Amino acid sequence: MKKHRQKSIKNPTEPDKTLSKRQDRRQFLIKTGGILAAGAFGAVPLRGWAADPVNIGGLYPSTGSMAQIGVGCVAAAKLGVDMVNAAGGIKSLGGAKLNLIISDVQSDTTVTRTETDRLITGNKLSAIHGCYASALTMIASEVAERAKMPLITGSSSDQLNKGRHYTFTPFARASQFAQAQLQMAKLVSDKPKVAVIYENTAFGTSTSNGLKELAPGEGVEIVMFEPYSAGFTDASPLINKVKASGANALFSLSYLNDLILIVRTVKQVGLNIAINGGSGGFVMPDFYKNVGKIAEGLQGVAHWNHDINDDAQKVNVEFKKRTGDFAFEYAGGLVAQTFMLADALERAASADPQKVRDALSTLDVSSGYAAMAPGGKVKFGPDGKNIYGRPVGVQWQNGDLASIFPKEDARKPLMKM
Amino acid sequence: MKPHTRNLVLLAIGIVVAIALPLVVTSSFAIDIFVRILLFSFIGVAWNLMGGYAKQLSLGHAAYFGLGAYTSTILQIDFDISPWIGMVAGGVVAMLASLPIGWLCFRLRGPYFTIATIATAQALMLIVLKFRDFAWGAEGTTIPNLGSAPLMMQFESKAAYYYVVLGLLALGLVITYLIERSWMGYYLVAIGEDEDAAEAIGVNAPKIKRDIYLISSFLTALAGTFYIQYIYFIDPPTAFNFNISIEAALVSIVGGIGTLWGPVIGTVLLETTSTLLQSWLGNSIAGVQLTVYSLILMAVILWRPTGLMGMIGEMRQRRVSRKSARA
Amino acid sequence: MWETVAQAVINGLLIGGIYALVSIGVTLIFGVVKIVNFAQGEFVMIGMYISFYLANQFGIDPLLSLFVTMPALFVIGVLVQHFLIRRVLGPNDMPQIFLTFALSLLLLNLALMLFTANYRTVHTSYSDEAYHIAGLYIPVAKLIAFVVAMFLSGALWVFLHTTDLGKAMRAAAQNRDVAMLMGINPDRVFCVALGIALALAGAAGSLLMPFYSAYPFVGQVFVLMAFVAVVMGTLGNVIGALIASLLMGIAESLGIQYVGADSGLLVVFGLLLLTLAFKPTGLGGKAR
Repeated sequence: MKKHRQKSIKNPTEPDKTLSKRQDRRQFLIKTGGILAAGAFGAVPLRGWAADPVNIGGLYPSTGSMAQIGVGCVAAAKLGVDMVNAAGGIKSLGGAKLNLIISDVQSDTTVTRTETDRLITGNKLSAIHGCYASALTMIASEVAERAKMPLITGSSSDQLNKGRHYTFTPFARASQFAQAQLQMAKLVSDKPKVAVIYENTAFGTSTSNGLKELAPGEGVEIVMFEPYSAGFTDASPLINKVKASGANALFSLSYLNDLILIVRTVKQVGLNIAINGGSGGFVMPDFYKNVGKIAEGLQGVAHWNHDINDDAQKVNVEFKKRTGDFAFEYAGGLVAQTFMLADALERAASADPQKVRDALSTLDVSSGYAAMAPGGKVKFGPDGKNIYGRPVGVQWQNGDLASIFPKEDARKPLMKM
Repeated sequence: MKPHTRNLVLLAIGIVVAIALPLVVTSSFAIDIFVRILLFSFIGVAWNLMGGYAKQLSLGHAAYFGLGAYTSTILQIDFDISPWIGMVAGGVVAMLASLPIGWLCFRLRGPYFTIATIATAQALMLIVLKFRDFAWGAEGTTIPNLGSAPLMMQFESKAAYYYVVLGLLALGLVITYLIERSWMGYYLVAIGEDEDAAEAIGVNAPKIKRDIYLISSFLTALAGTFYIQYIYFIDPPTAFNFNISIEAALVSIVGGIGTLWGPVIGTVLLETTSTLLQSWLGNSIAGVQLTVYSLILMAVILWRPTGLMGMIGEMRQRRVSRKSARA
Repeated sequence: MWETVAQAVINGLLIGGIYALVSIGVTLIFGVVKIVNFAQGEFVMIGMYISFYLANQFGIDPLLSLFVTMPALFVIGVLVQHFLIRRVLGPNDMPQIFLTFALSLLLLNLALMLFTANYRTVHTSYSDEAYHIAGLYIPVAKLIAFVVAMFLSGALWVFLHTTDLGKAMRAAAQNRDVAMLMGINPDRVFCVALGIALALAGAAGSLLMPFYSAYPFVGQVFVLMAFVAVVMGTLGNVIGALIASLLMGIAESLGIQYVGADSGLLVVFGLLLLTLAFKPTGLGGKAR
């Protein structure tokens, strides 16, 4: 039974056929293998046996409508684990290596429910992370809560911090994204009149609620506020409505697929409107690849960007080697999360999920990869929120994402359109 | 041993195994698979009454699944009413819905009927999506965590859920058995063979169709409530999932439409195949598992359209004809 | 105000042209072979991928790739009919429905395996351009798609009504047994029907490439609308499917504009169910 179960979920040390740049990967693997070997010699002194690996579960949509992003997340998860292991693993557990067990949630809510359950009951895990999309993470966190398994996630929905003891969110919340978007709108226009269109699941709803609440306080007028169902054939009717509303800025809280259509349609219509794409699909390399030059100058918000500090740049270089694209928001955040888990394991000196959960709740870092976040500090409050968490405003400049807002996080000047 | 006695013995063994199973195989992972098998067998049995015997090929049964699911959830979260009661309430709502839907769809024949049923399920989902204030819209909701609350259909052990759905399946099978052996059963088969001819000899087809639809939708709604209680999460794509409509029909067809045990056999085969495929191929390359699954499906359809029960039936026929040839 | 309405109508009309190509294929297959092809959307997807690779590898404009996708899909249609569908033709329509459904599942997942879920986009010189007339805008790529779609539909109509093979197909659609007595070979006619239907799907794929992205699930998005149009226009009625597609496109667009951005499909389904309530066989009358 056990053998069966372990085969059913992806083992990251198997050669991966789905990602590109096989040559580079082989070289990197040889390098890492060498480092690991050396590390193993150093980290396993007189005992003569290797410490049991610590299992970490990861739930991501490797298939389905969010597959492009899901695959990137899995690559980042593996990178994080490789980096932790290369640095010696968990020393308080005798140099135990992290073992990543990935499960595909197929971009589907029901599958997320059953897969999270299977992942937890079928393996001896110490913690889990996932699932990119807030709608999916909400479910995984419910399952984790009942199974008393700590879950760490970069998903932004504010609902994830309500009434939970096992969910930890080190990065900015949707309401904070909303506020940042509103403030960024004022960078481009004095009297912003904003049209808000949002996908109608947890991510879009959470962020848009934040927008609605905070707009009057920020001096921004919302002239259109509409939910839509993701996966439409044609964005023209939607953009037609935006045009009719008289807005001079468009906030589109969408995932990748729809965003591509929306942005291209705006160009077709010849609508001269500033687009702030929020986060979601906007801050992905695939966005630029699919819309091309139209993306230049468009703004968005992210909970992590590869230029926030040197550590982030290093992660970016490594990620680029593995996947061929720059490290996107969720990916970089994932690496940081892996280090946060490692930090918790180190302090807990145990692989028991309850102890790991307690160690996470007392996390307090301000240096190293675990603190790789805008603001550079991570400490969890009683509701699992990072009290120092804040988003960073980004802009597409020359095919790359540059941080431009707020002032202390800006790495490049704002590009004028 | 006479065939009749043999069947009874087999049934008795089956019941003992079914009841003892979760006590012997305690892995949470395995029990989850059993629950899925029992649940989809039940959904298949409910569908089979209408689609198997009377050959009304509905691909919109997810509508009733969803209605049952949402009714009991709304009653529980908004009014603190136990899902046990909510389950029955959901069944009633489903029956009420089946009346206008049946009125609309039964006037249609062949593929029109099928497509209309698909459309009603989709339309229902879109309506629930639209009215977010009433039913949480696209975000859905989770059932509040009550720990161990048997009166609210929440159990700490998976085995308890196993027994609940086993009970549901037993209910469905008993109802099917009784109907099969009654006048209604004959009428259903007559309608399934040739509706016009049946009407010509005096069968009140519209009434029979309406009645069986009531029963079929009621049972499907029960399954909906159970499922939501089991996964403690609901949203429109989950509750009105087109795959449920497909699966209901599929397991019945593969196992043998219009037979008592057809849906059960079909589910066992399909779910086991699906789980095995997921174990071997699951997460290596996206799409492999379902590709193999669909190939198997196509093979069954191309070579054994009467399903497995049909195959067993044919084997028995051959044995009988061989026996009589020898005699 | 009228500008908004007019624009909404134009948007709907243009996308309706694409729906038409997909739905005409479905209705043709149903009319002649009497089965519902649930996999039609996947053939559109195949057309899109062929166009994408031709554009990506050889720089061939998707519109030109029509000359490749249409014949390629015609052949696929013939093969599908001859090797798969022929075996389940019979009085029982359940195996037929599930066969095409399983085929749809197979093609979708094969695409996922071979091409991954990544979005493939093609940028042409006219991809993001539009004509601006009297305050309205008409995207160039969509206009071309619409014109070609109408042309193909017209060509099909001419084929069905003037050529011997076309008339044979209509005869087989009206009454298969009598047609056989007249010496028409049903299998040959079915193969042609499948071939044409799939060729139209392939054409839709090529026409979509300039303004839509290719990915394994793209067929599912379009096939739903196509089915609604097919039923509304009466199964088997080509002109019915065409008109219904255009109307549904407009209805969807107006629904999004005036009922809500998430209500386009709801309006369309509402119209479908209303139609079935009052005219159970659709608005098109007998198949022509």
